[in-house]
Order: sequence, then C-alpha cells, then structure tokens
Amino acid sequence: MKFPLTVGAAALLAAAVPVFGNDYALTFTIQLFVFVVLAYAWNIIGGYTGYSHFGQMGFFGIGAYVGMLLMLHLKWHWAAAALAAGGVGLVLAVPLGVIMLRLKGPFFAISLFGLTRVFEAVSFEWSTFTGGGAGLYLPPIDNQKMLYAALALLSLAMLLLTWWIDNSRFGLQLQTIRDDEGAAEALGIRTTRLKVTAFALSATPAAACGALFATHLAFIDPPTAFAPVMEVTTIAMVLLGGLGTVLGPAIGALVFTVLNELLWTRFPDLYYGLVGIVVIACVLFMPRGMVSLLVRARLVAPGRGAFRRIAATSAAASASATPPSAAPPAP
Amino acid sequence: MNTFLELLLNGILLGGVYALMACGLNLIFGVMRVINFAHGEFLTLGALATYSLCVTFKLPFWSALLVVPAVMAVFGYAMQVTLIARVINAPMIMSLLLTYALSTVLVNIGLYVYGGGFKGIPGLLTGSVKVLGVGLSEARLVAFAVAIGASLAVFVFLKRSLFGKAIRAVSQEPEIASISGISVARVRNATFALGAAMAGLAGVLLAPIYAADPQMGSRFLIKVFAVVVVGGMGSYGGAIAGALLLGVVEVLGGYSLGQMAGSAAVYLVMIAVLLIRPRGLFGVGVRA
Repeated sequence: MKFPLTVGAAALLAAAVPVFGNDYALTFTIQLFVFVVLAYAWNIIGGYTGYSHFGQMGFFGIGAYVGMLLMLHLKWHWAAAALAAGGVGLVLAVPLGVIMLRLKGPFFAISLFGLTRVFEAVSFEWSTFTGGGAGLYLPPIDNQKMLYAALALLSLAMLLLTWWIDNSRFGLQLQTIRDDEGAAEALGIRTTRLKVTAFALSATPAAACGALFATHLAFIDPPTAFAPVMEVTTIAMVLLGGLGTVLGPAIGALVFTVLNELLWTRFPDLYYGLVGIVVIACVLFMPRGMVSLLVRARLVAPGRGAFRRIAATSAAASASATPPSAAPPAP
Repeated sequence: MNTFLELLLNGILLGGVYALMACGLNLIFGVMRVINFAHGEFLTLGALATYSLCVTFKLPFWSALLVVPAVMAVFGYAMQVTLIARVINAPMIMSLLLTYALSTVLVNIGLYVYGGGFKGIPGLLTGSVKVLGVGLSEARLVAFAVAIGASLAVFVFLKRSLFGKAIRAVSQEPEIASISGISVARVRNATFALGAAMAGLAGVLLAPIYAADPQMGSRFLIKVFAVVVVGGMGSYGGAIAGALLLGVVEVLGGYSLGQMAGSAAVYLVMIAVLLIRPRGLFGVGVRA
C-alpha cells in the first residue's frame, strides 16, 4: 500500500515544520496549506464533477469576512470563527448551487465569476460593515503554530475526503455527470442532488479556509479576499497536478507554491505576468497533470483503486472456479 | 423627468460600446465555443495605444481609429495561432484557464509599461451637444455612433459576404462547414482577429471618455459577459439589444444606488435572466 505510506511521510514532514522550521518556513507552509485546501475543494466540483468553477474565491472571500467580523466584533476564537465561516459557506452554497448548477459549461463559469465580482463590489461599497477599500485589521495572533496545525488538519481532511470520493459510489456518480450528464440522468443518477452536494463540499472548506487565511494575515480587504489571481492559481494547481485525481491537487499546490515563492522574491514587478505564463504552460504542455507522469514512471498505480480491488477479488474468484462467471469491470 | 431622460440617453450611449465588445465576444464564442477572458485586455490595449498615439506621438484621434483596430487584428491573429487554436478541442476549462491567464499576463505587461495611474487624453472631444434638451458629451456620442456603426457593418458583413456566411456556417455546424469546403481553421483565425479588432476599437472609443488604465479591461469585461448572457450566447442582434438594456440598467442603478451597485445590478439582471430563460432573451441555445 503506497498511498498510506506517502500520506504518512508527508504528514510527518509537515509535523516537523513547526518544531524545527523558522518563521519563514512556517509562513510558507501555512500559505501552501491554504492552497492545498483550495485546490482539493476545487477538484471536487471542477475535477470530479466537471463544472468549470470560477467562483471559488467568492466563498473564500465571504468566509474571510465572516471570520474576520466574528473575531473583531464578537471576540470569537479564530477556530470557532473558521467553523462558523465554513457553516456560512455551506448555507450559501446549497441555494446558490441549486440555482447555478442548472447552467452548463461556459454559462456556469462566467456566472460564478461575475457573482464573485458582485461580492467584491458589495464588500467595497458596504464600508460601515466591511471597512470598504481600507480593509479590516485584527490584532495578530501570537501563536501561528496552532493555526498551522488547523490548516494541516484541514488539508489532511480534504485529502481523505477526496480519497473517499475517488473510491466511492458517490465519486463514480460525479464522474458520470462529468463525462455525460444526460446519460447520467438517464441511468437514474440524481444529478441535481449530487451536483449540489459536490458544490457544497467544495464551498464549505473554501469558506473555512478564507477565515483561517484572514486570521493568518490579521487583515482583509476586498482585493485580497476575492483575489482573481488566487482563483486562477488554484485551478492551475489542480490542472498541473491532475484533474480529478487524489494526489494531483497536493502535488500541483506544492510545485506551484514553490514556484510562486521563487517568482515573487525574484521578480516582484512581473510576478502576475509570470504566474500567467506558468498557467499557460500548464494548459498547453501539461493538460493531463503530473500524476500522469507518475503513473508512467510506475510510481502511482493506474486506474482507480476501487476498480483494482474489484478486479483483484474477481480474478481470484475466477481462478478458483473454472468458468469465469462475471467479468470484472474494465479499469 | 429630465434627469431620467438624461440617464436613459447616457445608458444607451454606454450600451453602444458594450455592444461592440459583446458582438466580438459572441462571434468568437460562436465559431470556437471559447469564452475569451482576455477580451477585456484587448480593449485595454486599444485604449492605452490610443493614449500613446494621441498624447505621446501627438497624432490626431482619427488615426487611432484606423491604426489601432488593424494592429489589434494582427495581435489577435497571433494569439489565436500560437495559443487559442491549441485548446479549442480540449475541455472547456482549458480554454477558460488559458484566456484568463493570458489576461493576467497582458494586465501585468500594461502595468509594467504604462504604470498603474490613469492616462487621460486632455482636450479631446470635450464639448457637449444638446439632444432632446439634454446635454450629452461629444466623446460619448462619437463612441456610440462609431461603435454601433462598426457593429452593424460587421452584421452586414456576416449576412451578405461569402466569408461572413462561412463564419456563420462554422458557428452553426463546423463539421458540415468543413465538408462544404470551408477551411474551419482559417475561419476561426480570422474571426478571432476580427473580435480582437472590435475590442481594440472599443478601447479607442473609451479612451477619451474614461482615462485609460491597465486594469480597465476586466471592469468592462464582466459587464460584457452579462450582456452576452442576457442577449443570448450566439445571437448577434441579442448582443446589441442586451448591451443597450444593460447600459441603461447600469446608469440608472449607478445613479440611484452608487457606482459599484450599478455594476452589481447588471449582474443581478443577468442572474434573473438565466433563471427564467437560460438561453438568454434572444439566444438560440448553446450546442454543447
């Protein structure tokens, strides 16, 4: 079993950062985990369900503001504020999903993109509540290590959730919707219910992550909360790692965050343009993701884990009984 | 009443420029099923180039009207051949991400070359003209007239000319167009160049009204998205009607609720239209 080993090794490495690393390493890893969570969240709706979601930063930003306001005015602990932000994301995602997921392809993409811009406009305009363009400030929390632990746990939870989706009936149904929604409906899959569930599963962690990010920065303003460049970076991370794969978002987020850091420190003037060029390169040269390279190098097994197990058990069964009765589903 | 009329007319004038943008976006979507997120930056490039021509090189405004669209057509053609053409048949997310990234790159180049400030063109079309007892700015009237003129010219070109018919054929059924001897790739390249030229022209027209800045494109593009969706994806007349409608919604909303809320109102109208009639007011429905 390579998968638990890989995850375990990554978890140990992550646990070593706050113990041995300096402040820089801690900040870097916190930002990495923010992107890991966002990439996994996007992967559920964008990778597995195949809906081009360009509004994830809308949930992230709303989560950031909800968390910020709870901490600022009601003096909530940041962990409670993040949970509440996640809850708000969930409550918002369900009706929004019911409305928006009726739209297909490009309509879905530009409607959610536009909706995020509306959220941004509202947060600019409603300055008595959100501080407008000046933003909101919070006294920085003295112990970033607990925040680190929370984000690491959230990342792990997203990884496990994705692993479960990849190996479950739910995940297969989502992939059927991605491949052919009409056929999925004809097969009796309750497409609307599943799509809304996937949308909510993607929005909730994004909103919670927004609150944690606001805590980390101790500051939030509309361009930070709804940053379009974070949107495109998240999607590019999933693409670079591998759309609709378990390890893809983590790999993509890791590679891209390191690259981001290098570009940001060397070329601050041209940073956004260079990120754009990297994204273009990912689209043109790496559309199947790095996971496909790992599969070719035989570091990751091809196909889906669930199918492999079914195939293995039925192969064993057909070996013992001479006439092979039920053919195993093709991987 | 007079205020209302003034707002209404200003909304319609604003809508003219949206129409020019929306028609280009719609043409590109029609022949390639690609949403061009970089369309707003084509407008930005047009506006910044106008600033350079009129202020830095002190050339007359009409020269920008001629030169900029031609240059943008060449630029659009180059982008199409090097980038967009390679993802047309890929999943939708690829082209969305690619054009989005392209827009980020173009904004950054604009900021690097021109800096972040607003670039106004002093002393250009600053007069105003009385229409129905309402004073309207000369720059806005010129923008409206040229934009609507160009949109209608392209419309006639699509309806009457052979190449225009080829464009329509490719947007209706690429396979059959190809069987009929139309080079689909050439039509797509030319259409993207045409769309870029239209966006560039829109930029030229906006430069005297609003001061140009490298980030103006995305502000316009989100409204043009709404226009295209409200008017109906793939419907040329719908794009013009939607543009005029949303121009009025934006100006009226902005007057009564504030600038930002005006833009938000545009999107609320779009969402309402999507809920009631997802194909848009005049849309023919989208082929998946």
